Amino acid sequence: MREQMDEVKVTAYALGQLEDGERAELEKAIASSDDAQRDVEEIRAAAAAVREAFRSVPRHELRPEQRQAIEAAAARVHAAPRRHSRLLRVAAYTAAAAAVVVAAVGVSLPSLLRARVSVARRVEPALPPATANEHTRLARQLPGRPAATPMATTPPPHAQAVSRLNGLAYLARRTDAGVKGGVPGGIEGGVAGGVVGGLLEERAMIVGSLDNEAKKDEFDHLRASSAPFNTDAYDYVPENPFVRVAQDPRSTFSVDVDTASYSIVRRYLTGGQRPPRDAVRIEELLNYFAYDYAPPDDGRPFAVHMDAAACPWKPGHRLVRIGIKGREIDREQRPPSNLVFLLDVSGSMAQPDKLPLVQSAMRLLVEELRPSDRVAIAVYAGSEGLALPSTPATDKSAILSAIESLSPGGTTHGSAGIRLAYETAVDNFIPGGVNRVILATDGDFNVGVTNQGDLVRLIEEKAKTGVFLTTLGFGMGNLKDSTLEKLADHGNGNYAYIDGLTEARKVLVEQIGGTLVTIAKDVKLQIEFNPREVQAFRLIGYENRVLAHQDFNDDKKDAGEIGAGHTVTALYEVVPPGVPLSVPGVDPLKYQPAGRPGAGSGTGELLTVKLRYKEPDGARSALMEVPLTDGGQAFQDASPDFRFAAAVAAFGMVLRDSPHKGDATLAKAREWARSGLGEDRSGLRPEFLELVDRARAIRGN
Amino acid sequence: MGGWNAARPVTVASNDMAISAAARRDRIRSAIDQYQARLIRFAARITGDLESARDVVQDTFLRLCAQDLDAIGDHLPAWLFKVCRNRALDIKRKEGPLEPLDDTSNGPVHRAGIDPERLLEQSDAARLALAAIAELPAAQQEVLRLRFQEELSYKEISAVTRHSVGSVGFLIHTGLQRVRRRLRADSDVRPRLEGGRIDA
Repeated sequence: MREQMDEVKVTAYALGQLEDGERAELEKAIASSDDAQRDVEEIRAAAAAVREAFRSVPRHELRPEQRQAIEAAAARVHAAPRRHSRLLRVAAYTAAAAAVVVAAVGVSLPSLLRARVSVARRVEPALPPATANEHTRLARQLPGRPAATPMATTPPPHAQAVSRLNGLAYLARRTDAGVKGGVPGGIEGGVAGGVVGGLLEERAMIVGSLDNEAKKDEFDHLRASSAPFNTDAYDYVPENPFVRVAQDPRSTFSVDVDTASYSIVRRYLTGGQRPPRDAVRIEELLNYFAYDYAPPDDGRPFAVHMDAAACPWKPGHRLVRIGIKGREIDREQRPPSNLVFLLDVSGSMAQPDKLPLVQSAMRLLVEELRPSDRVAIAVYAGSEGLALPSTPATDKSAILSAIESLSPGGTTHGSAGIRLAYETAVDNFIPGGVNRVILATDGDFNVGVTNQGDLVRLIEEKAKTGVFLTTLGFGMGNLKDSTLEKLADHGNGNYAYIDGLTEARKVLVEQIGGTLVTIAKDVKLQIEFNPREVQAFRLIGYENRVLAHQDFNDDKKDAGEIGAGHTVTALYEVVPPGVPLSVPGVDPLKYQPAGRPGAGSGTGELLTVKLRYKEPDGARSALMEVPLTDGGQAFQDASPDFRFAAAVAAFGMVLRDSPHKGDATLAKAREWARSGLGEDRSGLRPEFLELVDRARAIRGN
Repeated sequence: MGGWNAARPVTVASNDMAISAAARRDRIRSAIDQYQARLIRFAARITGDLESARDVVQDTFLRLCAQDLDAIGDHLPAWLFKVCRNRALDIKRKEGPLEPLDDTSNGPVHRAGIDPERLLEQSDAARLALAAIAELPAAQQEVLRLRFQEELSYKEISAVTRHSVGSVGFLIHTGLQRVRRRLRADSDVRPRLEGGRIDA
């Protein structure tokens, strides 16, 4: 993929579309390579042929009366409003996103356009184009703060260095010098969205770069070997420190409903390895699980739930849980769905922007399904088979574990898989419902019916069964988009290209599932602590989501989206007054008075949560405020949900070897989790116990 | 076509009074001269018929009349193509059959503008290029046209289509790759020209 990026750059160069700095750099590189020069010539020849091909068509003009009408209007209007057109802003944003490679082929245009803009908007306009990739990565690290220092072993995330490396990689390949290895870059920008950090890690985890030709073997080798993955590529995430309320009584962050870190951690642990600490993002572990928060009943899009109890890993400290529950939307109008996923699990799908992305997208979809829906998963590679027979959506854990167990390997045998998928769809046909086969592949059909004509005929024949076909193209390396598109054309279906989780969510969840209803966007939380009740606090997790305080009220600052029924959970560890502050990272103030309590401080309230959100199509945010008073509950008296959440956080801190983990151990985390299994409607919690056990086995405690 | 043909009400800002009505009209006129044919061609490919394309372009220029021309400045082509495209898509959405999700079909609309008779006059390379392009998804064809027919820059195409600039680069690159492969395959069956260069 990196190579494809470089080729894209060479094409841009040949067409005179590179910015000065980049152009000069590439020019030098190209001058030293005959192959590259030939490439440039060939690109220009192709461009000339295309220009000639397009040159034609009789010239049509406006009718005279139309022209007169315009000229009359021009004369009527003496001057125009000083209003900057939206276009100009879009131009500025997109210009800054120059290095963001997002292939957008397909999907209904309106949603596509929205997606494009949201990608572009997240990139600061002031940045030079070459830095966009790297910036989106860093931006995710610590919004509103300087980027964290990377670990010494990672290459400097300096955009120019990256672009130089990319250029070198291209040339190395052109001259067969064979430079391989951990050059950062690639399509991170394409998956900017902010929700997809996990993908970056997954990408890094699988391997820094996979050469197109050799990737299948390399990947198999990697999977087989017990050697640790290249953990250096994880973003270094410093943990939120304790903050003295006297110093700063506020804590501001953006919501996050991402859960990718949990899958990564699980993959490491089930593979017998300890996950790299920076792959463990506690908020994503917390949010992997559903908690029993009541939906709002006051017409607001959210309900905010809070409770506090003793902190189990630090005597004297309190633990505060903040839970947000999005409004449920009545989905009864939606017809039931019978979805059969047909997944390409061949070796070429191993890259992080392929199968792992498919899996993440499917998890999102599963969250949105209703009890009347059914899901099956057929796979094809060396052989085809059903990874999951058609299963009602009520059996969520079976579906999720089937998704989890998918792993790439083997060659692609597309046609047998397609037959199987259609048969499964027909067997479980829901009259009046949505019956759909969803084919996810990079289109690299290389075994079986390779003749495209035969494949198209097969699809055409299957389309008569009333089952629709959606083809989803993944990855840029060897995406055969014309094959996929043809299949979709002939299969009563549609075709979309998926370049990141944001896009995947839009296509899979909003359009195919038709289920995800965004109820609010740019959801930000600001917690103000009462200095009379709180001496210091620490936000557990959400390191990547911390916002500057002033961004809370700034409607121009983006933040996370929440869909109907979603829950978000955050935990604060709170140090009451009078408890000795034996926590790292806090120095007492030398010059400031130790807190001057305000008017509301005598209320006994521990804190007030302020939540800002915008309606999905709104531009102005609304504000909700909810105070919490600590009832002094003991940990064992807290709700099972509370105890389970505490256990998950403790587990994360132990895995991270956090300086704040206090007395927490894996054994204790397991015990707290066991006591917090509760009702567990989604059935995911027992698996957590197993995971803790695996971690204990690895660590030997 | 409803009321959108009428000029929209305009707020007049005092700081822009320097431009006289006459100067303004001249600038609009020259914009019409320069862009009308291109815009009509572009819109016709979306709407599928010439008359609604003309309506779209008229509306586009009427909207231009309501704009601060100085603020648009160098962005004029991007502004025109973008507004024109949005209007044309509106028309297509209102009047055309609904096409859920799928916008990639190579329907006749997107082939419009290729005049079969002209093919005879074109070089082999151009014909091969056309064949290669015809296989691409509509969204990609559009980007290629904006680049090689309308000569818009990557940035301008990005502003018009709202693909990111990187995405535009990718679509153009892969499109040209397709053309290059065709040309290469063709030159392989003929004696290879010196230096591997393929002359159009």
